[in-house]
Amino acid sequence: MNVIEVVDLWKQYRRPHQRVTTLKEAVLAFLRGQTGYEEFWALKGLSFSVGPGETIGVIGPNGSGKSTLLGLLAGVLKPTLGRVQVNGRICPLLGLGTGFHPDLTGRENVYLNASLLGLGRREIRACYDDIVEFAELEDVMEAPLKTYSTGMMVRLGFSVAVHLDPDLLLIDEVLSVGDEHFQHKSFDKLMSLKEQGKTFFVVSHDLNALLKLCDRALWLDSGNMVADTGCEEVITAYRRVVAEGEQRAREARLRQGSG
Amino acid sequence: MTYLRELWRYREVLWNLIRRNLKVRYKNSVLGFFWSLLNPLMQIGVWWFVFKIILQNPEPNYMAYLITGFLPWLFFSQTVLDSTACVTQEMALVKKAYFPRALLPLSALMSNLIHLGLAFVVLLGLFAAWRVDVNVYWLLVIPSTALIAVFAYGLSTMLAAWSVFYADVKFIIGNLMGLWFFLTPVLYPVFMVLRRVEMAGENWLVRMLEHALPAIKMAYLADPVAIGILGYRSALLHGGENPIMVPGEPAMEAALRAQYPIGCYVVAAVLIAVVVAVAGQLVFNRLADLFAERG
Repeated sequence: MNVIEVVDLWKQYRRPHQRVTTLKEAVLAFLRGQTGYEEFWALKGLSFSVGPGETIGVIGPNGSGKSTLLGLLAGVLKPTLGRVQVNGRICPLLGLGTGFHPDLTGRENVYLNASLLGLGRREIRACYDDIVEFAELEDVMEAPLKTYSTGMMVRLGFSVAVHLDPDLLLIDEVLSVGDEHFQHKSFDKLMSLKEQGKTFFVVSHDLNALLKLCDRALWLDSGNMVADTGCEEVITAYRRVVAEGEQRAREARLRQGSG
Repeated sequence: MTYLRELWRYREVLWNLIRRNLKVRYKNSVLGFFWSLLNPLMQIGVWWFVFKIILQNPEPNYMAYLITGFLPWLFFSQTVLDSTACVTQEMALVKKAYFPRALLPLSALMSNLIHLGLAFVVLLGLFAAWRVDVNVYWLLVIPSTALIAVFAYGLSTMLAAWSVFYADVKFIIGNLMGLWFFLTPVLYPVFMVLRRVEMAGENWLVRMLEHALPAIKMAYLADPVAIGILGYRSALLHGGENPIMVPGEPAMEAALRAQYPIGCYVVAAVLIAVVVAVAGQLVFNRLADLFAERG
């Protein structure tokens, strides 16, 4: 059975012209006859499926729909059209500032996060020590999270995510956080998960890391799938296009300068 | 049905959210949990001082009268206020992980139920000191609490969902609660509202109200919060007696009881609570899919 099945997936956002957040503004906008929204499609008809053990990198320029895709896979966003089906346990979306609560201790946050994955207390207890050890936070687990540095929080989030044994791991731009030491460590951990046959989805701008981690890559541009094949192929093509774009921009600047 | 199964599957999350709520409410306070006991006591102390000492309220045990009305009121208002903010406060979680969103207002309700239970311990202590009899009518507290809980849950879900889209909801409800407090019989006996009164002065507001007065009084008594409070009083202080009482004037008491059959009002209050709960859940579920992208 495929881990992910995405069929003709469309996602529309409404982007307010003017941000309407109060009743007064809403009433005024209504009286003026403004709908106040501009609709745009963040994803335009994506279809793909992912088998068990595939490791997938998602690349594309800013605003191409990468994070939206992860949100849909995590079940946080709902598709406007089409279908997303994920079989198995999904880890909460791992990004900066994961669903942690600043007033709770590190330990309590681990339990809260793990319960979101559907784990019972006993299962959490079983892997708790590994989580703490990997994050190297043994001394501060009883301190409230607000006393942690950003790096410590990311380490904890990463450690929770990789130790709870999810069927699908969604990672949004956290490969290059933490110090050098932890970056290597988390990278090695992902490599070993890959060898164990875990499925993961990584959004990153660190193309070199993706080359090592992923077998397959999706290239998104303004909500369209530009390419979906082997990681190396896609990244080579992506680099070429980016380089061409830069080249054109340089030439345009030169022409302007001389003209 | 599948929805309930989904909630059950995520019960561990609910439990963690409740523990979190309980812990965070009194963060950074030395007395911690004691505040959920001290707060209502202090508030009641203030009213007791004003209405008993200064204004000479004739109620024999006015302190007991206040506490039996204030505990259910506090449970109601605190649940609604907490829930109104529950989704917006947890946006970080909502944007990162899937879980049935109804767990958020549900956890606010449950944590306030626990606070109510704690406050009840104080009440029992006071009642022991006043040598109030424990009797079987005390069990009426359970359906009274359930009534308020169902009603509060309905309002909570509705307000929690709307406040994601409009920040105004939070301010409106804060003020509304201040008014609502006086529209429930916490400080005064219910007959003072129900009896016939001659309104002083003649202005357009009085004239307008005069026509609507019978309907307003009926709505006043059918309010699930008012019925819940009356249930508490009847259970804890009056041995299950009809809560419409007029001390020293049996004729007026009989007339009011005939005019406002309490059984009908209990049924009406239950219906209102259930309808609000169902409507709230529907509104909430319809909007829940949009929380992550609009929050």
